[in-house]
Amino acid sequence: MTIFLQATVEGLSLAAIYSLVAIGFVLIYKSMDVLSFAQPALAVVGAGLISSLAVDRGVPFWIALFIGISLTGILGLIVERTFLRPMVGEPVFSVAILTIGIDILLRTTLDNWIGLNPRYMGDPFTTFGNFGSAQIGGVTIKYLEIAALATAIFIIIALNIFFRKSKYGVAMRATSFDQEAALAQGINVGRIFGLVWFIAGILAAFAGFFITGGFNTLSQTSFVVALRALPAVVIGGLDSIPGAVVGSIIIGLTQGYVAYYQYDFEVSTGITLGNGFSLLAPYIIMFVILVLKPDGLFGTKEVERV
Amino acid sequence: MKSRPNLYTNYDKESAIFSNNTQKFWFAVLFVLSVSLCFVATDYWILLISRSLTFSIGAWGINIVSGLAGQITLAHGSFIGIGVYTAAVLGGVASNSVWGFELDMLIWLPAAGIVAALFSLILAPIAVRLKGLNLALVTLAFLFICSHVFSNFISVSGGAGIGRKVAKLVLFGVNLEDGLVFGNFLLEKNQIQYLMCLFLCMIMGFGFKNIVRSRAGRAYAGIRDGDIAAEALGVNLFRYKASAFALASFYAGVGGAMASTISGGVEPGLFNLLFSILAVAIIVIGGAGTVLGPLFGAFFYIMAPGFIQYILKLTHLTESALPLNLGQIEAMLFGLCIILFLIFEPRGLWGIWFRLRNYFKAWPFSY
Repeated sequence: MTIFLQATVEGLSLAAIYSLVAIGFVLIYKSMDVLSFAQPALAVVGAGLISSLAVDRGVPFWIALFIGISLTGILGLIVERTFLRPMVGEPVFSVAILTIGIDILLRTTLDNWIGLNPRYMGDPFTTFGNFGSAQIGGVTIKYLEIAALATAIFIIIALNIFFRKSKYGVAMRATSFDQEAALAQGINVGRIFGLVWFIAGILAAFAGFFITGGFNTLSQTSFVVALRALPAVVIGGLDSIPGAVVGSIIIGLTQGYVAYYQYDFEVSTGITLGNGFSLLAPYIIMFVILVLKPDGLFGTKEVERV
Repeated sequence: MKSRPNLYTNYDKESAIFSNNTQKFWFAVLFVLSVSLCFVATDYWILLISRSLTFSIGAWGINIVSGLAGQITLAHGSFIGIGVYTAAVLGGVASNSVWGFELDMLIWLPAAGIVAALFSLILAPIAVRLKGLNLALVTLAFLFICSHVFSNFISVSGGAGIGRKVAKLVLFGVNLEDGLVFGNFLLEKNQIQYLMCLFLCMIMGFGFKNIVRSRAGRAYAGIRDGDIAAEALGVNLFRYKASAFALASFYAGVGGAMASTISGGVEPGLFNLLFSILAVAIIVIGGAGTVLGPLFGAFFYIMAPGFIQYILKLTHLTESALPLNLGQIEAMLFGLCIILFLIFEPRGLWGIWFRLRNYFKAWPFSY
C-alpha cells in the first residue's frame, strides 16, 4: 500500500509538470493551429536562465526565478514574432517542422552553455537542504513535488479566471474559435498570438524549473521529460485544456505505477520489458488512444469538407 | 522538331526519364565525372560523397511517403534502423552477445529493404484511419517504441551505449573488405564502396522517377492533394497508403544498410527522434516531392559540415578557438536552414536550382 501511495504521489507530481507544458501546447494549438515542438526547448531554456542567474550570477533565488520565467515568456514572444508570424496560413505540418528548427536552435545554444556537468537551480530553503522531503505515513514526499502540484493547480485556476473574466482572455477564446471573425470584430489577432506564446513560454519555464529543480538538475537530456507532455496533449485532445490536464494525470500516474510495478510484473510473468519502460509507457498509451479515438478523449471532432 | 526541345507530340515523350537530349548529355557527363572521381579524390571526400549518396536513398524513401503521398512520418529513422539491423544480423559477424550469419551482400541488401517494408505494414492500417498531425504523432509513438526495442534487444543491436559491427562487404563470395587487386592495380575498399553507393543511388533514383511517373505516383499525388476526392475518383486509399509506406521503408532499409557499411559500427542511440527529424529536414531543405530534391538535401546535409571542417583545417583554426564545437555548429546551421527554407523557399534547394536553370535558359531575356 505504501508503494502504491508513493507511486501515486510521484505520478501526480509528474502530472502537474506535464500539465504545465501540455496547457502551453494546447493554447498554441487552439489559437494558431500550430503544434509547437519548441515547447520542451522553452522549458529547458527557462531552467537554464534561472540556473545561470541564481547559481552563476548569485542573484537571490526568488528574483532569479521571477526574472528567468519572465524572460522565457519574452523569448516565446520573440520566437512567435520572428519565425511564426511569416508562416500564418501555411500548412500545419510545415509550421510544425519549423518549430522543430526553433527547438534545434534553442537547445544547441543551451547545450553549449550547460556543457558536460549538470547544472543546479539554486535552493531558497537552505535549512531543508535542496528542497528536502517529508515523511507522511511511510511515503516520502519531496517539497518540490508539493510545490509543483500547488503551482499547477494555481495556474490552472488563474488561467480559467483569465479566460472567463478578462478582456484579453475573451479575445483569445474568440480568436481560437474563428480568426477571421475575431479580426472583423476588432480584435488584434497578432497581439493575441504573441500573448499566447508569452503565456506558453511562462508555463514552459515553470515546468522546466520543476523538472530540473532540486536533485534532478539540468542536463542536456532534460528536455525529454518535457517532450512527454506531448502524449498527454494527444490523449486529452489537441484542442482541449481540461483534456490536457486529464491526459497529464493519466500519463503521470501511468509512468509512476509502471516505474514501481514493472519489476513485480516481470518477475510474476517472466516477460522482460526492458530498461526505462516507464518512459515509453506514455507513448504506448498515446499510440493506442490515437488508433481508437483519433481526436483524443476530449478533443472536438474535425469536420472535413471536400 | 529537333530545334524545339520543349515541344512534345505524345505523352510518353513528356513523361520520359530524360525529356530531351540536353538532359541526357549532362547526365552522361555527370556519370563519367562521378565515376572518375573515385580515382582522383582523396579518401576524405570519397567517404563524404558515399555517405551523401546513401543518405539520398533514404531521403527518396521519405520523399515517397511525405513528398508524394503527403503522409507525414516521423518514424523514417526507425525503418532505417530496422534495415541496418537486418543487414547487420544477416551479413555481420556473430560474437558472444550478438547474432550474425555472414551472408552475401546479394542477400542482406535486399533483405534489409524487404524486412523494413514488412514492418511498415504494421503502420498501414493506422495510416488509413488517420491523417495529418495525428498520423505524424502515431509514427512518433512508433519511433519511441522502436528505439526502446533497439536498445533492449541486445542479441540484435548489442545494447544501448555499446552497439555492434555491421554487415561485411562480401559480394558474389568475394570479400571486398581489403580491396580488390586487378593485375598491379589496387582498388581500395573506399573506392569499391563509393562505386557501389553510386550505382545503388542511380538505380534507386531511376526507381523513384519511375514511381513518380507511374499510376502509383499519380495516385500518391491525388492522395496528397485531397484524399477524400482521390477516393471518390477510385483511388484505393488503403492500397496506396500502405504501398507508399512500404516503398518508403524499402528505400530506408536499403539506404540505411548501405550507409551502415561506411560507418562500420552502429549504436542503437543513433535512431532517436533527431534522426527521424533529420530525414524530414533533408527533404524540406532539398525540396519535397521533387526527384532531385532529396539528392540536393542529402548532399547539403553531409557536405556542409565536411566543408566547414575542411575550411577549419585550411585556416589552422582549432575547435577550441570557436564558441561552439563542430557538432553544435552543424546543428545550428541545420536548424537555421530548416527555418529559413520554410519561410523563404518552401520548394527548397530544388526551387533555387529550378529558378537558376530557368534564368539561364531564357538568358538574356527575363522569361
